[in-house]
Amino acid sequence: MSILIDKATRVLVQGITGKTGRTQTKWMLDYGTNVVAGVTPGRGGEVVEGVPVFNTVKEAIAKTGAEASVFFVPPPGVKAAAIETIDAGIKLIVVITEHIPVHDVMEIREYAGDSDAQIIGPTSPGVITVGQAKMGIMPGNMFTPGRIGVISRSGTLSYEISINLATAGLGQSTVVGIGADPVVFTGVSELLGLFEKDDDTDLVVIIGEVGGIQEEKAAEFIDRWMTKPVVAYIAGLNAPEGKKMGHAGAIIQGDGRGTSQSKVAAFREVGVDVAKYPTEVVTLAQKRLKLTNT
Amino acid sequence: MQYHAILIYIMKLYEFEGIELFHAEGIPVPAYALASSPEEAREKAVEIGLPVVIKAQVLTGGRYLAGGVRVAKSPDEVISVARKIFKLSIGGLPVERVIIVREVEIAQEYYLGIIVDGYYGTPMAILSLEGGVSINKIAQERPEVLVSKRISISQGFTASDARRMSREAGLRGQDFTELSNLICSLYNVFRKNDALLTEINPLVRTVDGDYLAMDAKVEIDDSSMYRHTDLSINMQDHISNPLERKAREIGVSYVELDGDIAIIASGAGLGMSSMDIIARTMRPANFLETGGGITADLLYKVMDLVLQKSGIRALFINIYGGINPIHEGAKGVVKYMQEHNVTIPVVAKALGNHQEETWEIFEQHGVHVVKDVSTEKGVELLAHLLGEKP
Repeated sequence: MSILIDKATRVLVQGITGKTGRTQTKWMLDYGTNVVAGVTPGRGGEVVEGVPVFNTVKEAIAKTGAEASVFFVPPPGVKAAAIETIDAGIKLIVVITEHIPVHDVMEIREYAGDSDAQIIGPTSPGVITVGQAKMGIMPGNMFTPGRIGVISRSGTLSYEISINLATAGLGQSTVVGIGADPVVFTGVSELLGLFEKDDDTDLVVIIGEVGGIQEEKAAEFIDRWMTKPVVAYIAGLNAPEGKKMGHAGAIIQGDGRGTSQSKVAAFREVGVDVAKYPTEVVTLAQKRLKLTNT
Repeated sequence: MQYHAILIYIMKLYEFEGIELFHAEGIPVPAYALASSPEEAREKAVEIGLPVVIKAQVLTGGRYLAGGVRVAKSPDEVISVARKIFKLSIGGLPVERVIIVREVEIAQEYYLGIIVDGYYGTPMAILSLEGGVSINKIAQERPEVLVSKRISISQGFTASDARRMSREAGLRGQDFTELSNLICSLYNVFRKNDALLTEINPLVRTVDGDYLAMDAKVEIDDSSMYRHTDLSINMQDHISNPLERKAREIGVSYVELDGDIAIIASGAGLGMSSMDIIARTMRPANFLETGGGITADLLYKVMDLVLQKSGIRALFINIYGGINPIHEGAKGVVKYMQEHNVTIPVVAKALGNHQEETWEIFEQHGVHVVKDVSTEKGVELLAHLLGEKP
C-alpha cells in the first residue's frame, strides 16, 4: 500500500468548516481521497463538500469508521484537538497547521509517545500516496505514480523535486512532508524505516534543510538499517554564513552538527549521493536505480 | 544567514527584559538601571553606587569581546566609558541603551541553561561548573564540567531532578542547595513564558556568598505570543533591520542579503533553493518566503518590500499553488507593477493549482513566465534577460 495511507484509508478532516479546511477537502476529494467525515466542535450536523461534520472525533469514528485525521485546526486549538484525537484511537494524524507554539508540540509529542498514534508535522504539506489518496495541501498535479519514496522537510521542494523526477519517468510511491519546525512529531529516520519495509518503494529521496540534526541522525539510520538506495538534497548550501540556527542538539554536542556541510558530509560518509541542486536529484536517482538493477 | 525559523519562531529579549522575568520567578538579580545616554548613565550609577558595570543592550552575543561590557569606578569614568559603548556597533547593531549594575566580587562562575532539544523534542537542562564563556565552547573544550538532563514536559522539572543534576556535577553544601533551586526557577521561567531558551551565564557566587544571575538570556517562541499579552514587550522593537521589521508586520519572512536579485518564494525550502541556484552566477538580494497565506494584497505588499532595497536588477518569483491561491497572488504582483511602473525584468515560475490562470495574468502584464518545472530553468532565463552568462 506504499506507506501511511492508500485509497481505502478512511480520512477525517478536523477544522473542516474553516476556509482552508473547506477548500482543501474539495481538493482531497477530487484527488480520490476517501474523506468520510469532518469535525468542528459546535458545527455537528453540517455538511461540507458532501462530507458529514461531527462535534467530536469519537462521534465521527462511531458513525463513519474514520481511521486517519488531517488537521486544519487553528494553532491555539491544536493541542486539545490532538489529545482528543489520540484518545479516540486515531492511528495517523497529519498536522498542516503552521505556527503552533513549540511547547505545545513538545507536549503533544510526549503524549503521543505513550500511544500508538503516528503524527506527521506540524507545518506539514501533508502525505500523498500518489494516484491514490492525499491528506494535506500538496497540489496533486505535481506528482506521478511510481516507485520512489520522498521524505521532505520542505513542502514546496517536495513538489519541485517530485515533478522533476516525473518528467524523467521516475514517479513516486508516497511523499511525506515532515515540516521544518524546531520540533517535529515524526523524524526522517522513522519514515526511512517505513519505506525500507515498503514493497512499492525502490529508492528514497530525502529533501533536507540547514538546521537541526535530522539529516545527521538519518545518516546513522541509513548506515545501520537501509538496504534500499537513498539520494538527498539539502537546501541552503550556498547560503552565506552569519547568524546560525540556534539548534539545541548542535549546542550540546558541540560538534558542529546542523550545518549544511555537516549534513552533506554525514550522508556522503554512508554512501548517500547528495545533489547540489534540485534537478540533480533526478540524475543521481537514475544512476542509483541503474546500479541496483544490474 | 538568518533563516525563516529564527524569524518566525524566536524572539530574543534584551537582557533587562530577561532580568525582569528572572526577578518575577525569584531568581536573584543585581539591582540595575537603564540609561540611554552617558549623562543618564552617570546619574544612575551614582544612585546605584560605584563601582558599576556598564552593559550594552543589544540582541546579539559577543558583547564582552566587542567592548560592550565595562567597569567604571568614578562618575567621570562612567561618562567616558559609556560614551565609548554608545559609539559601538556590535554584530552590526547600534547601542541605543545600556544597563548599569553594581560591580560584585566574584568567587565562582557557573552556567545554567534550559534549551529545546529539537531532535528528541524535549526541554533540556544544562548545568556547568564553569561559566562566563559560551556553552558551545565549554561543550567542546571542557565537556567534563557539564551535566545535562532531558525533561518530561508533562511532569516538569522537579526538585529531585535538580538535586540529581547538582550531585552529578559534584556540587556540595550551599552550592548544591542554591543551584538546585535556581535551575528549577529557571525552568519555571522557560515554561511559563513559552521560552525556547533561558540561560544564566554567568551565575556567580560572590565573595560574600551571595548568588546572582549576572546575565539574562531569554528567547521566546513568537508563535506563542497570542497567549502572552501580559508580557509588556514590543516585538517590533526587537528587529533591527527595517525591512525585516516590515516583513514581520505583514506576516512573511524576509532576510536581507547583499546582492541585487530579489526573490519571492512561497516556501522556505524553495526560497533557500532559489537562493542557492541564483548564487551560482548572480547575487541574491534577499530571502523571502510567504508561507501559506498568499492573497493579492499580501503579494502587493511583498512586492513593495523586496523592491525597496536599492539597486535591485531583477525579481525572481517562485511559487506553488498548494494551500496558496497563486492566481490571487499574481493579481497583487501585476497591480503593483502597473502602479509603480516596474521596469526591471520579473521572472515567475508558478506551478500547482490554478497554474494556467496564474500564467495568463502574469503574461498579460509583461512578467516572463517559466513553464518549465525546474527552478534552474527559471534562473537561466533571468540570467539571459540580464545578459549574464548562464
